[in-house]
Amino acid sequence: MTIDDSNEEIVNLLKEISGKLDRILMQGTSTKESDEGIFDVLDVMTLLTLPDHLRATATALFELGSATAEDLAEKTHKERAVESNYLNQLVRMGHVVKGRSGRKVYFSIGEGLGK
Amino acid sequence: MGISIAVHSSKGGSGKTSFSINLAFAYTSAGKSVCLLDADFKAPSLFNYMFPDSDRWLNDVLDGKCDIMDAIVEVADDTVAPGKLYVGYCNPDIDAVREMSGKDRKWQSKALQNIMGVKKKLFSSGIDVLIIDTGPGVDFTSVNAIAAADYVIMVTKPARSHQKYMEQIIDGIYIPLGKDYGVIMNKCHDNKPIAIPGLVDPDIPVVASIPCLCDIATRSDSEVLTVADPEHPFSKAVFTVVRTIEDCLSNK
Repeated sequence: MTIDDSNEEIVNLLKEISGKLDRILMQGTSTKESDEGIFDVLDVMTLLTLPDHLRATATALFELGSATAEDLAEKTHKERAVESNYLNQLVRMGHVVKGRSGRKVYFSIGEGLGK
Repeated sequence: MGISIAVHSSKGGSGKTSFSINLAFAYTSAGKSVCLLDADFKAPSLFNYMFPDSDRWLNDVLDGKCDIMDAIVEVADDTVAPGKLYVGYCNPDIDAVREMSGKDRKWQSKALQNIMGVKKKLFSSGIDVLIIDTGPGVDFTSVNAIAAADYVIMVTKPARSHQKYMEQIIDGIYIPLGKDYGVIMNKCHDNKPIAIPGLVDPDIPVVASIPCLCDIATRSDSEVLTVADPEHPFSKAVFTVVRTIEDCLSNK
């Protein structure tokens, strides 16, 4: 093998390593985006990515518009405390907002905390 | 309380719009008050220009700028009796189509909330059946309509590409959203079109099969088969779907 051949092989190997590093960096970026995405607005495609129990609660909330945990429980046929827990999980994810009206707490679809 | 039906397909050209129009008239022939909406925002059909014009669009309703009651027009025609029919269109202007294609996720989330509001408003105004003729495949506008529906009709045809994608849509969209659904096999050439080996998962509920007949296409631009020819195989399939949906939703 001549010096020129060796140099060419080294250049090719460096290109291959550079390509691999680019792909690793791209994966790192997309992972970061999905972590931030948890604070995204709740659209129907995001709804489809939620776990079953949260999706059922969020879907019912879309239908009701604004609702208490009790309203939700009536629609989904689950316990009020269970729905309250799921709703508060959705609030922490930024998908749902809650507000007080008198002694009642109402939940509704939020506008997201991120982009 | 009324029922909402989304008429969907995995790919274009399956016969969704003809089916939606005939389904609407099958319900009006039974005395129902029906609202039929063209929600194919990226390729508006305007229901083959068969019904009165409107200058208000569903685009503005989803945008929260227009009340649904201002965006629908009554089809005052003898063929509608004994029921009533109202239709609403999406804006066919290319600028409007382009604008809809560029809507962001925040807008689409609001649009879904507005569609839910449309349902409530129509039902409280005396509409018995809301039929939404959606765009094909999976995008925000079609999946929003599916999310708002009580029952989804998938109109497909016996081609491998249509059916493979149909199975994915059922598993990836209808089932996760908890939708009741039925499949219409349209444009069939086989004597037993329901049983096409290797194409359809046996668990998929095929509600009706419609043979591929040229007169369905040639007559559909000027007449409604469920009214003009109730004994036509196409009309019979539509009436079968009405009974299936009634059975399905009454058992809930």
